[in-house]
Amino acid sequence: MKFLAVCSTGLGSSFMVHMNIEKVLKELGINGVDVDHADLGSVAKGDADTIFVGADLADATSDLGDVVVLNSIIDLNELRTKVRETAERKGLAITAAGEN
Amino acid sequence: MLNDYLNKDTIRFAQNVGGWREAIDLVTAPLLESGSITSAYVDAITASIAAGGVYIDLGFGIALAHSRPENGVQHTGLSSLRVSPTVLLNDDPQHPIDLFLCLAATDANAHLETMRELASLLSDEQLCTQLLAAHTSAEVLAVIQKMGN
Repeated sequence: MKFLAVCSTGLGSSFMVHMNIEKVLKELGINGVDVDHADLGSVAKGDADTIFVGADLADATSDLGDVVVLNSIIDLNELRTKVRETAERKGLAITAAGEN
Repeated sequence: MLNDYLNKDTIRFAQNVGGWREAIDLVTAPLLESGSITSAYVDAITASIAAGGVYIDLGFGIALAHSRPENGVQHTGLSSLRVSPTVLLNDDPQHPIDLFLCLAATDANAHLETMRELASLLSDEQLCTQLLAAHTSAEVLAVIQKMGN
């Protein structure tokens, strides 16, 4: 299973989302997910099971498969909710309660 | 470490800034002065915002201005600018910004630790609120010192 955070440069917001996804996966006790980040130009459909993007890239990534759109890059509560939903959708085992 | 980059020279404050272009000029100024970036980097950031690149809006009134390393980064650097009142990114009412950060990274790995710290600082609701409330560089540095890791 692979989650990929994507932004325009591949250096700024996708990096932050990458790190925060790892943090949330740990909180939720979800194992077996590789997390990475990339810039929009280098991403192709099939590179990841789920792609996480900021709202600005929602349209540009709509044909890349399973895409999760984040309203705020640094809102951990939003990310907790969306990572949990994604894990449930993908049938991943959630083994911890998480912070909230 | 964040405080290797953020210090009294790179943490700045400005009142009544005349728009987002001026805010970008002000937040990039300390990095230009230290030789961390060339003016090409400022131009790249400005051009990408003008082209609709409001992706630098992280949420909670914080924007992380940055571009690609090849667009004029000489060495890694970070700066901040607290504006008052709020500045609209690309004059877009949906993107009001209180705090501009500017990241200059030489490559994806060079700033790994800096970004990790920045992410944990900004994602911590309490610290983020304190950061926005800080009105001197000493106050900003005090917030950074409170980080758990």
